Amino acid sequence: MDPQEYQQLEQQITPPTPYVKNVLKAFLVGGLICTIGQAIMYLYIIFFDFTDKTAGNATTATMVFIAAVLTGLGIYRKLGAFAGAGSAVPVTGFSNAVVSAAIEGRTEGMVLGVGGNIFKLAGSVILFGVGSAFFVALIKLILVTAGVVKW
Amino acid sequence: MKKFIIFFFVPFFLIGCSNEQIVKVSNNAADGEKREEIENLIRDTKEVYTGTAILAGDELLVAIQVNPWLGYKEQKVEKKLQKEIKEKYPDLHVLVSSDYKMHWESQKLLNEKDSKKLKDEVKKLKDLAKEET
Repeated sequence: MDPQEYQQLEQQITPPTPYVKNVLKAFLVGGLICTIGQAIMYLYIIFFDFTDKTAGNATTATMVFIAAVLTGLGIYRKLGAFAGAGSAVPVTGFSNAVVSAAIEGRTEGMVLGVGGNIFKLAGSVILFGVGSAFFVALIKLILVTAGVVKW
Repeated sequence: MKKFIIFFFVPFFLIGCSNEQIVKVSNNAADGEKREEIENLIRDTKEVYTGTAILAGDELLVAIQVNPWLGYKEQKVEKKLQKEIKEKYPDLHVLVSSDYKMHWESQKLLNEKDSKKLKDEVKKLKDLAKEET
């Protein structure tokens, strides 16, 4: 069998990817996670002294905590298998990446295992997040100094 | 599928149709003319769908909610209204805010009778609006 024949055979056997179904699932679950986040934000605003400006940080922390607990219990994995990007794109996906990497490295000890692996997946997010934030701030600083925009 | 779409989306469109403005000014304000003028100023701002003004002595808190699809204009609307009220009443300490917290708390203060308590609450809310962390 030559490579072309093999490729044809493979394409025949592989079931087609249900793109529309996947997108719908991701949309619904991602939307649901964001709705829960919005509800938590309103809880903070209504019952505590938080404003729109300050409630964001507390809400993010709460969502990260909930996702970390769900990851520990193995529930987030099932959600991820069902929703794909819908569960990975919100900040809860970031939490899941950190906690699951930490759990994975647990058997190798606290320092080299958990400490060394915890940012295995999330490290790139932090690196490029901090990097791009630095450059955006630099551009804004230049624009403010030049008098184009205000802070 | 078609029925499903109609079931879910028609209510949204119907809700979107109601564009009635709700503007309330606290009853405690002694000066009726001032109350009416502030109410009209808020009403003239077309982007606002809910506005609540709390007048306590020389403190004025105006909590507005801007139409969701005009959210990007929120800051501009705030500033415009703040400037308009400030120009008309230079002696008042005005704060116009589109924050949900201000909206929520000002609804509760609408029927507050104790003027000292009202003033304290308005001051507290204004401090809260300045909070960044």
